[in-house]
Amino acid sequence: MNRVETRRSRLLLAGLVLAHLVAISNQVDGGNGASLFQRWALSVFAPLQSGLSGALHGIGSVWTSYADLRGVRRDNRRLDERVRELELQLQEKSQEAAEAHRLREVMAVRDVLPVRTLVAHVLSRDGTPWYRTVTLDSGSEEGVRLDAPVLSSTGVVGRVIARGPHASRVQLLLDQQSGAGARIERSRISGVVSGQPRTSATAGGDLVMKYVPMLSDVVVGDVVVTSGLDRIFPPGLLLGRVRFVKTGAGLFKEILVTPSARFDTLEEVLVVTSLPPDETVVEQLK
Amino acid sequence: MRVFFTVLAIAGALLLQSALSMVLPAGARVFDPFLLVLVYCGLSFGETHGMLAGGAAGWVQDSFFGGHVLGLSGLTKVLVGFAVGLAATRFQLTEAGPRMLVLVAAVLVDVLLLGVLGGLFDISVGRPSVSGLALRAAINALLGVVLFELLERRLISKRRP
Repeated sequence: MNRVETRRSRLLLAGLVLAHLVAISNQVDGGNGASLFQRWALSVFAPLQSGLSGALHGIGSVWTSYADLRGVRRDNRRLDERVRELELQLQEKSQEAAEAHRLREVMAVRDVLPVRTLVAHVLSRDGTPWYRTVTLDSGSEEGVRLDAPVLSSTGVVGRVIARGPHASRVQLLLDQQSGAGARIERSRISGVVSGQPRTSATAGGDLVMKYVPMLSDVVVGDVVVTSGLDRIFPPGLLLGRVRFVKTGAGLFKEILVTPSARFDTLEEVLVVTSLPPDETVVEQLK
Repeated sequence: MRVFFTVLAIAGALLLQSALSMVLPAGARVFDPFLLVLVYCGLSFGETHGMLAGGAAGWVQDSFFGGHVLGLSGLTKVLVGFAVGLAATRFQLTEAGPRMLVLVAAVLVDVLLLGVLGGLFDISVGRPSVSGLALRAAINALLGVVLFELLERRLISKRRP
């Protein structure tokens, strides 16, 4: 017998022995209702199956995690875009709400004023350090006239100094070249209010009330309104409150007035288009 | 042809065992004609044929005379058939004396393996006494040698022209 046959016969023997062992084991009761073969098979293959199951579960988890991660990344991008859209919408809505609020304030003032006005939007603010002006989106075509008083919901802003068909320039009260007839409401003392010279020492945020006699009754906190004597601004419009009073060596007091109009946040203003002929007192703006 | 005669021999062993179990039950428990078939196959045709014949004979024996677990005799006879065939390829086992020794060894190994497998699988198999084992080995060896001799003489006479 050659070596190949020997090997073949031994393999056959091994196979037969194994088959017999399996056959016998399968018939022998191994307890718990399972055959001995089943118990052996379970004890041998259960760890392998467990390991395989764990490996498959792990691979499945990794794959699921990867798929989820891709999904999350996609969702994240989508949600990010959505958040940006919503933020923009929110911003727009906030702006609209703020604008509506401002317009309500302006319209409330407009309703109580005895003069005719139109609402204008501020297009730009002063572009040079020497002048304090703003540009409005309304001009002669809308009824804006030169020297027309411009008001905000909180007080007098200035007057129109130039106009085009659909735009006009307004000189603010803060400008040192401006001037408005003013009056201390409490003591009826008159003077002229204008902007401060813009020097390094002054911030330029206050108004100066000039030509108030030294012996006049003016105290800090007094309300300053327009007097109407300049024939530009209707009388009784709120200009501001006295912040500082100094008795100097000259004939007049040095009075600083904090303006009631918020010049740095101006967006909508009222432009007076026509004054009543015998205007006396306008309800004071609060 | 080998396979045919082996099948025929196994069928004859089945008939003989069946007949003995009815006529002489004590003899049927001692004499093992299936073992004689596989030993003869192993001696004559080598280990492969011996173990295949042993497996077939053992399964038939298990099926008709075994307990509730099939395959115990099949396995023992596969191993015995293989061992006999292997021995036949390595030793001169054509004379009656060596064949008797082979038969005795085959019976002992068969019974021993059956006991081992019974213990391994926790199956109750009858354990013969030493005297019973000796009697079984002796009877099977003697009858085997005689049967082998008769068979071979007949075969030789058939081959002569």
